[in-house]
Amino acid sequence: MKTTLVLLTVLTLAASAFAVEVGKPAPDFTGTDINGKTVKLSDFKGKIVVIESYNSDCPYDANHYKTGAMQETQKDLAAKGVVWLLVDSVNPKNFSHRTPDQARQEFADLKMTATAWIDDSAGTIGHLYDMKTTPHMFVIGKDGTLVYDGAIDNQPDPVHDPRAARNYVKKAVGDLLAGKPVEVSQTKPYGCSVKYAD
Amino acid sequence: MRRVGILIAVSLLVLTVRNLHAQTALSSFDISPAAHHTQVKLFLSAGTVKTGDTILAGVDLKMESGWHTYWKNPGAAGQATEIKWQLPPGVTAGEIQWPLPKKLPPAEVTTYGYDDEVMLLVPLTLASNLPAGPIDLKANVSWLECKEVCIPASQDVEVKLNIGGETKNSADATKIEDWKGKVPLTNTNGFSVKAWWEKSSTNDLRPLVFEFGPTVLIVTFTYDEPDFFPEANDKFEVESATEKLDSWDLRKLVKKYSGDWPKEISGVFTIERSGKKIAFEVNLPIAEEAPAGETISAQTQPENSTGEVPALPLMLLYAFIGGLILNVMPCVLPVIALKILGFVSEAKSSPRRVRALGGIYAVGVLFSFLVMAAIVIGVKAAGHQAGWGMQFGSPIFIVCLTTLVTLVALNLFGVFEVTLGGKTLDAAGNLAARHGASGAFFNGVLATTLATPCTAPFLAPALGFAFSQSAATIIFIFLTVGLGLASPYVLLSWNPAWLKFLSKPGAWMEKFKIAMGFPMLATVVWLYSVAGSSYGKNVLWLGVFLIVVALAAWIFGEFVQRGRKHKTAAAIVALILLGGGYAIALEKELDWRNAMPEADATGSLKESADGIDWQRWSPEAVASARAAGKIILVDFTADWCLTCQVNKKTSIEISSVRQKLKDLNAVALLADYTHFLGAITTELNRYNRAGVPLVLVYPKKAESEPIVLPEVLTPGIVLAALDRAAH
Repeated sequence: MKTTLVLLTVLTLAASAFAVEVGKPAPDFTGTDINGKTVKLSDFKGKIVVIESYNSDCPYDANHYKTGAMQETQKDLAAKGVVWLLVDSVNPKNFSHRTPDQARQEFADLKMTATAWIDDSAGTIGHLYDMKTTPHMFVIGKDGTLVYDGAIDNQPDPVHDPRAARNYVKKAVGDLLAGKPVEVSQTKPYGCSVKYAD
Repeated sequence: MRRVGILIAVSLLVLTVRNLHAQTALSSFDISPAAHHTQVKLFLSAGTVKTGDTILAGVDLKMESGWHTYWKNPGAAGQATEIKWQLPPGVTAGEIQWPLPKKLPPAEVTTYGYDDEVMLLVPLTLASNLPAGPIDLKANVSWLECKEVCIPASQDVEVKLNIGGETKNSADATKIEDWKGKVPLTNTNGFSVKAWWEKSSTNDLRPLVFEFGPTVLIVTFTYDEPDFFPEANDKFEVESATEKLDSWDLRKLVKKYSGDWPKEISGVFTIERSGKKIAFEVNLPIAEEAPAGETISAQTQPENSTGEVPALPLMLLYAFIGGLILNVMPCVLPVIALKILGFVSEAKSSPRRVRALGGIYAVGVLFSFLVMAAIVIGVKAAGHQAGWGMQFGSPIFIVCLTTLVTLVALNLFGVFEVTLGGKTLDAAGNLAARHGASGAFFNGVLATTLATPCTAPFLAPALGFAFSQSAATIIFIFLTVGLGLASPYVLLSWNPAWLKFLSKPGAWMEKFKIAMGFPMLATVVWLYSVAGSSYGKNVLWLGVFLIVVALAAWIFGEFVQRGRKHKTAAAIVALILLGGGYAIALEKELDWRNAMPEADATGSLKESADGIDWQRWSPEAVASARAAGKIILVDFTADWCLTCQVNKKTSIEISSVRQKLKDLNAVALLADYTHFLGAITTELNRYNRAGVPLVLVYPKKAESEPIVLPEVLTPGIVLAALDRAAH
């Protein structure tokens, strides 16, 4: 009994710790984007993938998009062949939930260049990656290894221009493309809590 | 734009987002006061202040229902409220004093903050050269408020203060004082908190253990809801979930973002005492491992707390030390007398013979332990519960052992001799011969048999561990206990020089031998009283039987062994006495093979008029007393457990403990293991024990684990445990 308990504890710890651990393979997932297309992480093997937990009603996200800083980063990285996946885990009952129609509208209004906006209103991917906040960022290397987990930058506030801050995602992708080890691989994500279903 | 209707109704922020243009100026992001859900006001503890004094400013945030703002460490998300002062020269503001926050759901993204209302306190110091008259104190307060959505907001607040000749409390002073009471204390106020890493980590998560308690253990507190609110840190995060290990320890997981594992940790430690929260700031070094002593208390942790599975080598060490200590436990003491006698009588023998006898004694001990291990394994395999000393639960075993020990005593008194290998010994017979190989072996068996009703320090955890393990481990541990028990004699027999201080064998030995018979008689009395619990008043017939046996032994010794005539007749008389005594006293009157254990009765088991009001133990009795919020003292004991009896006499059934139990209105429960009740075995196993004694003290609070007392008690231990459990 005791052994079982200890084992269970270890397994639980392992599950929570290894699900998303920098240096380990990023767990695969399949989702549906706002255009009804199936998106599978492992289909992007061979490319660098950036994952962003997204909720534009959160003032932190809003600051990044309102200033246009996030779109610039997306555009810049897209030109380098980087895949950018938006994961929207807001539950359908929350005010910030977007129907596919609303999402397509917002995607266009904000002039995003993300590869896909994944509807994760069930929270499956959010929980799998233990996404804490919006925005919470992940960078996955060409071999499928998670190389960055944390905040978008070192400026956890919703008012100042993010261009002045140190963008960890850009830096991580830059390191990867330069064939260098990723310098900052983990930071504390900031922002609003992800609005998961209860 | 289908959502326009909702948008207008809910939030301006969302409008700005939905209609944004890529390069919108930052200023368009500002929120008008009407749009936010928190009202901010500035209060002062004094209306008029003397220069040089310090007063408290209170920034009061009132949140609408469902909205919350954040603590200085917002936790997994959110942002701390900021206050930017605009103060006239000569007025300086100190650090914000934050009242204790709440943990805000959801569980996966726990944040620390406030709902409903909070007042952030800031000390303001007035320089001594300030001119008298009114001054304006202004501040800009900015915060993040969240409900389903988060809104950053800010507001300017101001208040007038009069510089005058004396400091006078304002109308708001009481309110500020109330909030001041919710700010964690800056000293630990008689508490000590320690922190250490529970183990190393190969990934970025590592468990951290906090131990807290009063600095002086005499203080009688119990604590509820212990928790730790960490300071914010860029390099690591203390996760919000708190795991309570027992009433004194809690575990937190630390997630590392960069750098080395932290060497110290700061935050607020909080506990609840009779419904009142106590919080204090701590800044603790983190030890790399549990402090010494922690591991020893861990061994007595009940199973449902998350202790590590004890390692076999450690348990073997415990088994050996436990076996060693058994030698001085009250049950084995009479056997020591026999052994000393053996050594004295062997003193002039050849060293080789002494060594051989020491070895044979050890073999006797080990053989007995092997037999016991086999019985335990067999009983377990048959699906029954096994326990240390369980043979003492059998009245038949008790009767046999009582008779045997009586015979040993009579033999020491010289009533009869033990003949070996057909060789008859005369009265002045060679003691060495009697303590030959068979004698040494027998001593080993007897020592083990008498030792089994005792558990000793170290032995209890080792046996508790063994009983839950595989057959091989049981044998291994039992043999190790045997080695421990036999080792002093084996060592002595290899170094007989150590015994040089003893006199040479001679006439004094005959007297010493007789003297050693008396501890054996004492053992008989003890065993007799154990039998009494099985047979009630009928145990008298066991006494009758013992006297008949003694008489037969005398006839055998006097007339058969040493007599010259009518040896056969004497032998027949002895046999008739034995047979008759057995048939009448044991079979007919005592009905010894069908003992009726005392019927389970309810009601008091008081031993004397002013004694502890013992009630019979049962799991239900514990549950109902806990439900009634009472402190419970449970004594798992048995008539045959001498350690238990000694504990009771010296440390439990004493006036100070009686008085303490009365003062605390505590319940005393007696779990009598004399007859090896299954329910008690189950309970003992829960605490990793294979036998008695076990003394538990349940604290008042129903969910806290009971305090497990050590095997050997002192009044101080019992009183301290009751104090700890009390409140």
